[in-house]
Amino acid sequence: MAGIDILVALAGQPNVGKSTVFNILTGLSQHVGNWPGKTVEKKEGFYVSDGKGIKIVDLPGSYSLTAYSEEERIARNFIINERPDAIVLIANASAVERSLYLLAEFLLLKAPIIVALNMMDVAEQQGIRIDVGLLEKYLGVPVIPMVASKNQGIKALVSAILSLSEGKKEYIPSMADIAEDHKDIFMELADILERYITPPYLTRWTITKIMEGDPDVTEKMSRIVPPDSWGRVQALLRQHEDSLLAVVRGRYDWIEGAVLSAVSEFKRGQILLTDRLDHILTRPVFGIPILLGVLALVFSLTYGLGLPLQQLLESLMNSLATWLDPLFGQSPWLRGIIVDGLIGGAGTVLTFLPVLFFFFAAMAFLEDVGYMARAAFVMDRFMHVIGLHGKSFLPFCLGFGCNVPAVMGARILESGRIRFLTIFLTPFVPCTAKLAVVTLIAAAIFGKNALIMSWALVAGNILILGFSGFIASKLLFKKQDMPFIMELPFYHTPNLRTIGTVVWRRITAFIKKAGTIIVLFSVLLWMLSHIPGGNIEGSILGFIGQSIEPIGRPIGFDWKMIVALLASIAAKENSIAALGVLYGVGEEGIRGILPSVMSHASALSFLVILMLFVPCVATLVVMKQEMGGWRWFLSSFIFMLCLSYASGMAVYQFALMVGI
Amino acid sequence: MGRDTIPLILLKEGEEGIIHAVLGGLGLISRLASMGMTSGMKLKVVRNIGGPLIVTTNGTRIAIGKGQAQKIVVRRLTAAK
Repeated sequence: MAGIDILVALAGQPNVGKSTVFNILTGLSQHVGNWPGKTVEKKEGFYVSDGKGIKIVDLPGSYSLTAYSEEERIARNFIINERPDAIVLIANASAVERSLYLLAEFLLLKAPIIVALNMMDVAEQQGIRIDVGLLEKYLGVPVIPMVASKNQGIKALVSAILSLSEGKKEYIPSMADIAEDHKDIFMELADILERYITPPYLTRWTITKIMEGDPDVTEKMSRIVPPDSWGRVQALLRQHEDSLLAVVRGRYDWIEGAVLSAVSEFKRGQILLTDRLDHILTRPVFGIPILLGVLALVFSLTYGLGLPLQQLLESLMNSLATWLDPLFGQSPWLRGIIVDGLIGGAGTVLTFLPVLFFFFAAMAFLEDVGYMARAAFVMDRFMHVIGLHGKSFLPFCLGFGCNVPAVMGARILESGRIRFLTIFLTPFVPCTAKLAVVTLIAAAIFGKNALIMSWALVAGNILILGFSGFIASKLLFKKQDMPFIMELPFYHTPNLRTIGTVVWRRITAFIKKAGTIIVLFSVLLWMLSHIPGGNIEGSILGFIGQSIEPIGRPIGFDWKMIVALLASIAAKENSIAALGVLYGVGEEGIRGILPSVMSHASALSFLVILMLFVPCVATLVVMKQEMGGWRWFLSSFIFMLCLSYASGMAVYQFALMVGI
Repeated sequence: MGRDTIPLILLKEGEEGIIHAVLGGLGLISRLASMGMTSGMKLKVVRNIGGPLIVTTNGTRIAIGKGQAQKIVVRRLTAAK
């Protein structure tokens, strides 16, 4: 691998095909992590051209560079502090105006920019013709027409990066001005502030940001500038409250100039496929039944294709265990840790991979073609009831597969509180593992009523999610209105590479968790249930279960059920294995033995509690990580403990009363 | 608010308007401006039947909550079809 000679930042608004370009350029060399100290994804990768190593950093997608969101702050601080050799701004050729707005912001930072004008084919279809040469001339920066989804324009982009970073071409970008009637104020502000602005900050950028009322820059300057001068600045800004608008107007005047000189529209007013589809899909009367139908299809596909494979993997795991078994003849401890702990615990979790794969593939497909944004739109009105808005619907959907990517998926929510609340509620979405436990126990106990029971439990679970959200939002947010602004991208044909990358990332996140946290916890759990004494009755776990048995009485639990519930913290399906061991049956025989040791009321209570109990350790770890501090995390933890206990008790007592 | 200006939420489906002002915090104004919704911009309401609205502006479709739609003041351009 060549060293890094050139640092390139990739920027762009959402829905412009930025990740497609990033994937093509970096391929398998990409590395996904977090920006230091932030819960914002950082993607990096490498590209080698003519023996030169290009490091590509994917900046978070954002519409502008204000300080109102973490993503935008990260992007602008990266440009200011890291000074990349080139910035590639991916623009959407079918919505040039909007894309150029972000360009205006970047140019203010005096950054060396290349505009990658992507989705030229979409623009063409919509009757928009762009004269690239004229646009280049107007903007004063290189403009590369592209169709990234068809791999067109990448080579030209790379050579533009190389020649820009080598300084071969003259580079004099044009820049947006402040609207005419506010130029005097700009000059006055510059007069006062100029001497206090030090590198890496630029005068023009800083003054513009002050006029925009940017909270970060304003705060920074207020600490540097002496009070009397700062007082004058504030007086000026008060006199001209519309300074922000003057900045915005200046940018759009500049954009209009670009559009007038280079963009022409023919075939105006044609009805697009997107219009036709949205006409149906965004109307609640049709949209909601269609959404339910789509989800039903996703689930039946997922389970129809995934379950047989899961069973296959399960039997493979079992044969692996039987094959390994004799190798540990002399060492029951090693056998226990590896066969029961590792294969039985983490191995079982891995058998869920096929189910998750099909589920995530279906979801990524729906996201990629643009459908999920419509789903979020039609769900918005319901989500408002529980203090959220439509965008939280996507993470919740992912939660039906696995809560881990669902918690991480809450990152799409820009407001901190709404993100917290979404994460707070995610564990109440029943994941595949919980559903597996429910199906198995319900089948064992309730016989032919099992299906109804399972459905009732899932429905109850979702109602509790709604109820918790309703209460939590009333208590925490009072009447505050959560702004809902979301772009609805045009529908487009699915891009396999993009879908593949999304599925790959979500699946690997799951495998990493299964391979680390769940393995450790499974082994720990095995040890706790075998030390001392060598069997579960005499072990630490057994002792804990037995000593807290009294608190199990109101919910119809004996100590074995308590232990099984505790085991579910490692991974939900562990509770089945634990029940099997505790009641002295193999996993195979559990269906036969459960009805004789567990009453209907107890089983119902067990299932209700299992669904509302604290999630698996993998989910807990990402929840803590994504929530940042302990306060939210602990309150969520305690809330789940109390809620599950209270609901279990209510269900148990009710069941006894009516004699289920 | 002048006599001929109304909040966006009162525009019916299919109607067009020109944004007159955004009454809100700097955050909301900046956010909308970066998506092409600022004073002087033309927009068209695609969906407005209770719940959030969908508007198109400069080739972009934006879903926008009722609360925010109340803060956007527009001048109506065409009568309802």
